[in-house]
Amino acid sequence: MDSKPSVDAGNPKLQPPYPQLLDPRSERGPGESGDRSGQPPLPVKIVVAGGFGVGKTTTVSVISEIPLLTTEAAMTEVAAHIDRTGHVPEKTTTTVALDFGCITIDEEIKLYLFGTPGQDRFGFMWHDLTQGALGALVIVDTRRLEDCYAAVDYFEHHDIPFVVAANRFDGRLEHHLEDVRWALAVSDETPLISFDARQRRSVRDALLSVLHMSLARAEYSSVVG
Amino acid sequence: MVLSSTPGDDERRPLPDPGLIRPYVDEPGGVDDRPDERPSGSNGAPPYPEPSGVRPYLLTGGRVRPVDASLEIEAQVKTTSAGRADAVRLAYEYRDIVLLCAQPIAIAEVAARLGLHLGVARVLTSDLIEAGYLAVRRPDAGLHQNKKIIERVIRGLQAIR
Repeated sequence: MDSKPSVDAGNPKLQPPYPQLLDPRSERGPGESGDRSGQPPLPVKIVVAGGFGVGKTTTVSVISEIPLLTTEAAMTEVAAHIDRTGHVPEKTTTTVALDFGCITIDEEIKLYLFGTPGQDRFGFMWHDLTQGALGALVIVDTRRLEDCYAAVDYFEHHDIPFVVAANRFDGRLEHHLEDVRWALAVSDETPLISFDARQRRSVRDALLSVLHMSLARAEYSSVVG
Repeated sequence: MVLSSTPGDDERRPLPDPGLIRPYVDEPGGVDDRPDERPSGSNGAPPYPEPSGVRPYLLTGGRVRPVDASLEIEAQVKTTSAGRADAVRLAYEYRDIVLLCAQPIAIAEVAARLGLHLGVARVLTSDLIEAGYLAVRRPDAGLHQNKKIIERVIRGLQAIR
């Protein structure tokens, strides 16, 4: 008796798994209806900038409600050449390209935090990153102030509200904040704070100071016109 | 690459095998039936060597700018009912994206979760939006200067303990 099942439906291996690519001009047009239930949330964003190893990754991940995401791991190799974490003790992970997290603000608004290296060579990405941002948090390591120059320059030049936040490594700062202000030559209106990237509330307060800058800027713009 | 050629050139030179340009559509019976979006002059390009693998921008049919070049990286996309219905008919990354976006997520999240270059994710999601397979919500213009929105974000952050 031959119990072997017959194969007559054609060898599936020979069938093209995906017979056609999506044709953007096919049956359905853009105005397709039927999905009105639950419009996607309104996205807003804050940029978290600073040099390598200053605590951007920690800052974003400590407050994000999703595990930190990274878009472009291919930057690791580039980073390896310019990363100066050898000068920074106890730094084990390196920020590559762009990592981010998000916070659900209310039933409609979702806040994204995009962490980005402040180096000049990543400039090509900065327009995309900062376009429409509520503001920016520039994190500095007071042992390496020069690492944040590029970011400060950029936000000043593009009139994006920002706050300079010195990360308290091991709970202390290497320099007084006023010395930092002097060294960075930022205006007196630019808030200069110290925070601890490992503490969620500390990060929350740092972000709140950015948002108060954003609000002040929005009020100023509405008065000036 | 030669981007322009005279009609005479086209008559003299054989067409390159499209399978050498876009390996992943070279399945039996799986030829690309889309109208060719490449510049017509590319027909005059010399034959390509055997490809060593699929490079990122081959996934986008050679396009490097999305249909809507200004699509923000935080723009939210969500699969529509049409997208769900047609998911199995879509090719590779298109299908992955449609399946991924059952809940609304950002373009940057699409890239991160599927391991795509950000620019590639942008092009592919733009295609899907245009085809009606993804619904999109973009940040409104002037959002960053909208006091009501900023105040809501402040209140939301203050609630974090």
